Amino acid sequence: MDDVMKDRVEQLADFIMKWCLWQFHSRAWDRERQNEEILTKTMQLLCDEPVNLSTPSDRCYWVDAVYLANGFKKTCPWLGIMDKKDIKLLMQGLKGRIDYLTINGSLNQELTNPIY
Amino acid sequence: MSCELKQRERPGIINPIFTCQPCGAQYASIGIKDCIAIVHGGQGCVMFVRMLFAQHFKDSFELASSSLHEDGAVFGALNRVEEAVDVLLMRYPHVKVVPIITTCSTEVIGDDIDGLIRKLNKKLLKEKYADREVHLIPIHTPSFKGSMVTGYDVAVHDIVKAFAKKDKPNGKINLITGWVNPGDVTALKHLLSAMDIDATVLFEIESFDSPLMPDKSGFAHGSTTIEDLTGTADAMGTIALNKYEGAKAARYLESEFDVPAIIGPTPIGIRNTDTFLQNLKKMTGKPIPESLVRERGIAIDAITDLTHMFFADKRVAIYGNPDLVIGLAEFCLDMEMKPVLLLLGDDNNTYKGDPRIKAFQEKVDFDMEIVMNADLWELERRIKDKEIKLDLILGHSKGRWTAIDNNIPMVRVGFPTFDRAGLYRHPVVGYEGAIWLAEQMANTLFTDMEYKKDREWILNVW
Amino acid sequence: MPYHTFKCSECIPDRAMHAVIKGPGEDLTSCLPLGYLNTIPGTISERGCAFCGAKHVIGSPMKDVIHLSHGPVGCTYDTWHTKRYISDNDNFQLKYTAATDMKEKHVVFGAEKMLKQNIIDCFKAFPHIKRMSIYQTCASALIGDDINAVAKKVMDEMPDVDIFVCNAPGFGGPSQSGGHHKINIAWIDQKVGTFEPEIKSKYVINYVGDYNIQGDSEIMIDFFQRMGIQVLSSFTGNGSYDDLRGMHLAHLNVLECARSSEYICNELRKRYGIPRLDIDGFGFEPLSASLMKVAMFFGLEKEAQAIIDDETARWRPELNWYAKRLKGKKICLWPGGSKLWHWAHVIEEEMGVKVVSVYSKFGHQGDFEKGVARCSEGALAIDDPNELEGLEAMEMLQPDCVLTGVRPGEVSKKMRVPYLNIHAYDNGPYKGFEGWVRLARDLYNAIYSPIHQLSGLDISKDEIPTDKGFMTRQMISDVNIIGDGTTPIEERPYTGEWDIVTKLRGKKYPKLESQQQLGMV
Repeated sequence: MDDVMKDRVEQLADFIMKWCLWQFHSRAWDRERQNEEILTKTMQLLCDEPVNLSTPSDRCYWVDAVYLANGFKKTCPWLGIMDKKDIKLLMQGLKGRIDYLTINGSLNQELTNPIY
Repeated sequence: MSCELKQRERPGIINPIFTCQPCGAQYASIGIKDCIAIVHGGQGCVMFVRMLFAQHFKDSFELASSSLHEDGAVFGALNRVEEAVDVLLMRYPHVKVVPIITTCSTEVIGDDIDGLIRKLNKKLLKEKYADREVHLIPIHTPSFKGSMVTGYDVAVHDIVKAFAKKDKPNGKINLITGWVNPGDVTALKHLLSAMDIDATVLFEIESFDSPLMPDKSGFAHGSTTIEDLTGTADAMGTIALNKYEGAKAARYLESEFDVPAIIGPTPIGIRNTDTFLQNLKKMTGKPIPESLVRERGIAIDAITDLTHMFFADKRVAIYGNPDLVIGLAEFCLDMEMKPVLLLLGDDNNTYKGDPRIKAFQEKVDFDMEIVMNADLWELERRIKDKEIKLDLILGHSKGRWTAIDNNIPMVRVGFPTFDRAGLYRHPVVGYEGAIWLAEQMANTLFTDMEYKKDREWILNVW
Repeated sequence: MPYHTFKCSECIPDRAMHAVIKGPGEDLTSCLPLGYLNTIPGTISERGCAFCGAKHVIGSPMKDVIHLSHGPVGCTYDTWHTKRYISDNDNFQLKYTAATDMKEKHVVFGAEKMLKQNIIDCFKAFPHIKRMSIYQTCASALIGDDINAVAKKVMDEMPDVDIFVCNAPGFGGPSQSGGHHKINIAWIDQKVGTFEPEIKSKYVINYVGDYNIQGDSEIMIDFFQRMGIQVLSSFTGNGSYDDLRGMHLAHLNVLECARSSEYICNELRKRYGIPRLDIDGFGFEPLSASLMKVAMFFGLEKEAQAIIDDETARWRPELNWYAKRLKGKKICLWPGGSKLWHWAHVIEEEMGVKVVSVYSKFGHQGDFEKGVARCSEGALAIDDPNELEGLEAMEMLQPDCVLTGVRPGEVSKKMRVPYLNIHAYDNGPYKGFEGWVRLARDLYNAIYSPIHQLSGLDISKDEIPTDKGFMTRQMISDVNIIGDGTTPIEERPYTGEWDIVTKLRGKKYPKLESQQQLGMV
């Protein structure tokens, strides 16, 4: 990842950390699913791709994704001039970063607790 | 016309009058200077008691916990007391007295705190705190026995016993106040000073009414010292104002050190205050001065304005600490009121032998009920079932809804009184307390008449 | 590692990793305190016990229930009269509390028989209440009474009553949170799925993790109902026992305090496939976003937007009035758990108030992740704070106000720092748009109190101004504002009523009713 990309990923990650709660579900397996589902749907929204809304869970991920996509567009004007390929790359980077912050690099010792 | 003495019949409690023993021990402990108690039990046993004190006094008091968790409940938790003592002493270098107060859980587990204290005295205190005066005092207050009242009685006894040591006569008397407010201590000290009597007040809690100071130094804490406690064995006598809160310590000093003890009466109202002063005179040989004759006269003057015109035949229910309830009932009788229901909130089986209660049984000339081991449901049910009609309730804030929902005026008195401002500042004892109580009752009745439009025109001229 | 060591705690090595200061460039992989570990004895921690987490925090807000604790009387007495969780049934749950009054003989011989009599007596005392929640305590846990068996027996004998049993003794976990967990799991295991409340809308949610402090839940539920959403149950503020037995029928769980009630949402997802949506009911922006998210789930965006526009137009000018005067003030945000992350960012964003410290008495690392992520650089985050650390932090940070509970608030008072009651609120509710203005007002009133200004003067030493008979808050707060020409004319201090909750009770919701009339299921 180049420095511009890195910086952009960081801006998006900061937005999530400050304004969202979905990335902080209690267990690692929840966080993996939340990160995957919501960030994928956010990417689809940003790239004008169809979003699967067939289950209640999908709708629930989608509402957080819509909020995120709108928030990103509002706070990061550079998103508007990026092409879709780059947005996908960016979102991939973001997913890696959020996984790192909330799962792989997390200091939270309860993430691996096998029960709720 | 009879006075019936009965027990709560249900096994359970709906809306308790008292909390459990450890609270009473904690209340005693905060009266001592340089003292922080450790409560051996779950954290709630401390956290909520601290909150209760904070609600009542609008001030915070320091109390520590051994923080019993699951492992301790299974394997015993003495190691946690050991750690608590060390952590507390390290971080609070001024602390000299550490009562260790047990609770239901640690009594059921059977943790031997007496043995632990012996061990700590030999090891930790000798090795790590050799240069420091530290007293660890075991206080056994299982929550499934007695109530906060007995817990207080037990703790005062155990604390006095831990320190009292015979030296030479100190010319003082011991005044064991019972569970009172700072305002009471001020009033009692005023009476002592008027009679020129030097006393050790247990506990010296005037400072619970603490200031907010520009230099941020105004934290609330009791100020009874180790020297005060040690000297209790050298006093010329002990007056314990309450039979159920502190008398145990007075009896101990009498049997162990021949310090004569007078127990009671709680100096609530004119008559009981008169007796208290007579007792002081008898114990010290000091005369009752003219200034107190005058003070008494002011009280009687004030109360005379109220009794036959406003108080006569008013039906009152009273609940709370037993000595307080009995004292208030006696005062109400002197003021021509009818204390029709007294609620004593624990299972102490000596109440029936209390001569004051016997006197009610023998002498009152209206229907009166005294319920022992009572809860507040005993009050509310009687009101709801129309078994009694009340003009006034005297009690602490835990009964507020009974008064509010049934539209009965209520004077907050006792502990806790968190739903009224500053009551801890006002005495209920002495002549001063008599005035305050009578006028509170009168003004409460007056306000109620105005709210209910019940002959509110009476006060058009007075 | 950005751990902060308090001077007063240098002698306790185990405290070393319980506080952090968020430095420049720090993120959660380097800056997170330990959390939810056994308390260090003797520290004068501010934690309560698991019993209180279960009975007092989550159980007791349920309004149509007799709350009976099986144990000595203290647990019941002590947790009574310590909260302001109101209800629309005349506050039954605030007024009445019951204890089995366990005595020594019961400890020795067992207390199941008297427990049974207690249950029967309580139902007799309150013939209109047919539901009960029984809470185990340390004592009844240690003697091993089988409360579930007794409850079952009574239910067999009295078919019109239903009893819930919560086995969360005081020692069951490092803090209150142990009890939150146990009661969540006990409720879903015992009660969810045993009752089918009437479904009146196409859009059905459970509102979870709000305890109706001064009416918070009622304010939020009003928004949902205005949109046409049926709030099937409220867990547990102003909540009804039978509604909560029907939680499995909702389409969505809307979760506020994840700390106290994420467990039940997680289990509802696992067992019934109901999605969990975490929201923020505090602050204009987070609340607007939250309402919109719930609305979008059902396709009710228009309805939500109308509410957001109305409320914002009504209340924004009043929030701005306070924000202008609160800008730059410093607070310590010292709640029990969830407000550390609900408020950490938005109080700064929307009121300009700098959060210099967050703490949590009973939070887990998950709460600190949210709190640390949301607060600004330089903030001090403390897990399981104790008395001396709180004092040291106040000296170090010099806050203008401390947002905390009654007792620590009294400590703060002596430090000449006004406090605002964050557990029970000063003059709430604080949820909703108007509620957020009420918080701003209460903060402003605390910080700019003329009496507070006087508390710092030492009349024996200081130069005492003798030219004034009084000061108003605005004489103090507006020194730099008056005449700056930037105050839009519509900005004004709060103009709402004292009581904004009672009027919501019995209110009609046309959108909900129209669905009912259409016979929607």
